[in-house]
Amino acid sequence: MQVKAEDLADLSLGAVFLATGGGGDPHVPELICSEALKTYGPVDLLAVEDLPDDAHVVSIGGVGAPTVSLEMLPSVDDAARTLEAYEDHVGRKVDAIVSFEIGGANSLIPITAAAGRGLPVVDGDGMGRALPEAQMMTYAIAGVCPSPAVAYDYAGNVTTFTTPDTSTYERHIRALAMASGGMITTAEHPMTGAELRPAIIPGTVGFSIKLGRVLRENRGRADQMLPALKGVFADSVYGECRLLYCGKVSDKATRIIGGYDIGEATLTPFSDEGDALTINIKNEYLVARLAGEVVATVPDLIVIVDYETGAPINAERLRYGQRVAVFAVGCPAFFRTERALQAVAPSAFGFDIPYVPLEEL
Amino acid sequence: MRIGIDVGGTHTDAVLLDGSDIVASTKALTSADVLTGITNALDTVMADADVPQAQVEAVMIGTTQFTNAVVERRELSKVAAIRVGLPSGEGLPPMVDWPDDIADALGRTSYMVKGGSLYDGWPLAELDEDQIDAAIADIADKGIENVAISAVFSPMNAAPERMVAEKVLAAIPGARITCSHSMGRLGIMERENAALLNASLLTFADRVVDAFLEAIRARGFTCPMYVSQNDGTLMNVDFVREYPALTFSSGPTNSLRGACKLTGLNDAIVVDIGGTTSDIGVLEGGFPRESNVVIEVGGVRTNFRMPDIMAVGLGGGSIVAPDGESIGPRSVGHRLVTEGMVFGGDTLTSTDLIVAAGHADIGDKSCVANLDPAVVAAGNQTIHRMLDGAIDMMKPNADPVPVILVGGGAVLVSGNLKAASKLHRPENAGVANAIGAAIAQIGGEAERLLSYSQLPRDAAIQKVTNEAIERAVQAGADAGTIRVADIEETAIPYMDEGNTRVRVKVIGDIAALATKEGN
Repeated sequence: MQVKAEDLADLSLGAVFLATGGGGDPHVPELICSEALKTYGPVDLLAVEDLPDDAHVVSIGGVGAPTVSLEMLPSVDDAARTLEAYEDHVGRKVDAIVSFEIGGANSLIPITAAAGRGLPVVDGDGMGRALPEAQMMTYAIAGVCPSPAVAYDYAGNVTTFTTPDTSTYERHIRALAMASGGMITTAEHPMTGAELRPAIIPGTVGFSIKLGRVLRENRGRADQMLPALKGVFADSVYGECRLLYCGKVSDKATRIIGGYDIGEATLTPFSDEGDALTINIKNEYLVARLAGEVVATVPDLIVIVDYETGAPINAERLRYGQRVAVFAVGCPAFFRTERALQAVAPSAFGFDIPYVPLEEL
Repeated sequence: MRIGIDVGGTHTDAVLLDGSDIVASTKALTSADVLTGITNALDTVMADADVPQAQVEAVMIGTTQFTNAVVERRELSKVAAIRVGLPSGEGLPPMVDWPDDIADALGRTSYMVKGGSLYDGWPLAELDEDQIDAAIADIADKGIENVAISAVFSPMNAAPERMVAEKVLAAIPGARITCSHSMGRLGIMERENAALLNASLLTFADRVVDAFLEAIRARGFTCPMYVSQNDGTLMNVDFVREYPALTFSSGPTNSLRGACKLTGLNDAIVVDIGGTTSDIGVLEGGFPRESNVVIEVGGVRTNFRMPDIMAVGLGGGSIVAPDGESIGPRSVGHRLVTEGMVFGGDTLTSTDLIVAAGHADIGDKSCVANLDPAVVAAGNQTIHRMLDGAIDMMKPNADPVPVILVGGGAVLVSGNLKAASKLHRPENAGVANAIGAAIAQIGGEAERLLSYSQLPRDAAIQKVTNEAIERAVQAGADAGTIRVADIEETAIPYMDEGNTRVRVKVIGDIAALATKEGN
């Protein structure tokens, strides 16, 4: 399978759905990726089982404040130069590139990096959605060391990291991103094919394209879209897909605490009669409660879309009066192990509730 | 006294105001040359009012001509773009995501040079004067005289844009320049697009302004003339020659401002019902609530300050489904007077429904006497349901809010709207736009990304306020009357706490009139 320039609109749309309210605006990364694919041709998408055990794979993506890149634009070659800087640092060539976060703009950066070099991109990622911190990604949970890692900034400044654990690494790259104007590109969590295979959420790049196509072809009222969405998720690593709620946003209050957009949204039925749905937000939509009862929690996916068109709505853009539908999607099985839940269960986000899989709610 | 003129696509309206009182008003068709329509409107209000011309202190004009020029790709000059920002954004040149036809109309000439700054003011790269000089020499060679200049984070540090502008002027005498920091907000591509569109309109702006002036001078007026901006304030003649793009969307804004004046309500929802759509906007503190999303003008993404308007496909000419359960978005538009049933036609429109229900007396009601009462009742419910739903989406919160109905289709609303605490139907609602233009003051706006940990909040807001005041004075405001209209603070995700986007808007009286009234 290949990713072509004409697949990118679907890929972005699918990736924004999987971003569960976070992940940033992919408009500029999409422009860049499209330029790269038009210049260098399509990129091969490699199934993780076809990856040789000894292949050297590195994950590449953007880290920082997406708001800043509205002003300080990335460059077309940032991703490829990050890769070169990484190769210089470790003294060897990589065999394939992988995404660390399929949700939002970071679905496109690995493809951009791979295009100029004729490298394949591994079909899959380290989150299967968007999550706010590096230690929540599957590579970290599986015990992959974040370094050797490099960060590349707007001016070509390169910083290298030798850090044993991802939590420390996360702290360092955040600080560096601020010092570098708000946004950096990183090459990190290098793995062999054998290490990556059990650590990856497989198939998510190809799936995003498929999901984006379903959303585009079935564009319309969210409840009428449900059968098509159920179909596409059933045939994937996610499985369950439910329509949790249709209604209007009757309240939304968030504020920035420690760099995160934290707060709550309340939805009420169109008819004004019936139970309200509340959603806790920390950049992403994390916990949904219907009349106080939990109906979906992180790491399962909670997605808010425009009721009339099914277009996903970013948490920053959610506001009073919007008519919306809420979908819940089961997370990939990887996140449901005890070890993974230590990093991504509601308690990891400060919610004093246990994780109950969507199918059991 | 003031005269307000609104030049729309279909109608040219004018009002003569004495303080708050409407002395005379007129609604006439817009002429193909625009100017005849304006002079006719002037003549009508002056004849009706019978006051000496010397009593008219100012003429305010709202016009859609510049929006139409962009949408229709005409009257646009070739523009060269210079962006200061490399190494960031390499490979993403100006106009990269524009539709081909408008990029062609502007000529696709762009240059990217090193420089600009980070969010905290740290230099992004050292300016390379040779690179800039080479770009300017190339522009001169090509004979391009309109130039748009942008720089990364220029709303926070305008020095690089100003420096390049000076160099352009030195090399190309008579060059017409738009700097992106003077067009607005953070988001370089959208701000640069705004500057490019503005630069492409500068030559046309001179012609339009000269023609307006000629028209009012030819009628013997010696008073100053002002043009409406999209935020509900005015620009003097010199300012509009520099910033014609700031007129985009001034029509809906004037309608909202006019509704505010007519009812005295500063916080309300305004529903302007026309022939094809109902345009719903929100008055907050007497001014339109602004849209926060990227707005496309003629297919180009911009971040102009624009009123947040929701258009619903429901107007006087909207076509009704046979069962009355759905209405629009298709409309017979201005053919209502021939195709609507009350006018002897055979298309069931929303106007026919309200006549059949006995809520209005339009056309010949015997033509709708045989309509099924169930369909009439269902249709009238549909009208209210559609407006209710749309108003509810525009409300800032769940509290009930007064609703002001304006526009020729306001008769469609016969019952109560659930979303409204009270319904207002002001007299003279038909010329709300012209009233909005006539009553406007002069405004200024500034925006910066600041760190409250480096500059305390009060000092930070004062700094941005001072910049906004400077802009307002430049646009013709009386410094002594300027007050702060709005302060917006937005924290930035994934940044250190205290990093805040601060936007301040100020408003003041017209300096030329204040002096006169002071005497």
